[in-house]
Amino acid sequence: MTDGGRIFDPGLQPERTALAWRRTGLAVAVGAVAGMRVLTPALGAGAVVVGLLGLALATLLVVGSMRRARRVEVALLRDHCLAAGPGGRLVATVCIACTAVGVAALVAVLAAHAAR
Amino acid sequence: MTGHCGALGPMSSPVASRRFPRWVFGEGSEPDPRFTLANERTFLAWIRTSLALLACGVALEAVALPMQPQLRLAASVLLIVLGLLTPVQAWFAWSRDERAMRQGRPLSAPSLMVPLTVGTTATGLLLLAALLLR
Repeated sequence: MTDGGRIFDPGLQPERTALAWRRTGLAVAVGAVAGMRVLTPALGAGAVVVGLLGLALATLLVVGSMRRARRVEVALLRDHCLAAGPGGRLVATVCIACTAVGVAALVAVLAAHAAR
Repeated sequence: MTGHCGALGPMSSPVASRRFPRWVFGEGSEPDPRFTLANERTFLAWIRTSLALLACGVALEAVALPMQPQLRLAASVLLIVLGLLTPVQAWFAWSRDERAMRQGRPLSAPSLMVPLTVGTTATGLLLLAALLLR
């Protein structure tokens, strides 16, 4: 993430932040695939739907964070601050998605136990 | 410097005010961008913690390990509840700390440390009991 070889910070903070976003996206992707595998006996074809939703979320995260990283880079190299940088939209989206996954997980676990 | 750095005040630039949420970015001055980025990475670490808690909670029940079922369910629900609290706290900590940095105030202590420690320890104890009582 250099612009013609220029970097903003020798500590590579923007790059580390972009990588943190990416590994969060990858964690979602791995979780989606593992979830699809683990939930297949219980949900059948429904597990594929869960997996695809998870992969869509992971894609949104990775693509969204790449755009975000680009915006950070442009703002830092031009202004040396983040006044024109990204706000918290992706941050809020991730929170809402994560909470929704949690509610779904809670409902699924309780329903599975009740059905047993 | 061609940007909109420095104090914003009532004459805040339209560029700055467009950042979401308004109650965080609407006032104060731009902090060192490295601090903003560090705040973001802390947020993401909490999100990955949440994902790990949720994955463990679901896996416990989905794989149906040979354990005492009631205690296993209790451990699973506890993990998922912790995984639900984490993103909520991650959002509030991120926005609160970003706001504090813009206003030059000290950062708050993470409010979920104690519940998370107690909760994960309790999960461990529940699982140990579930293994012994199967």
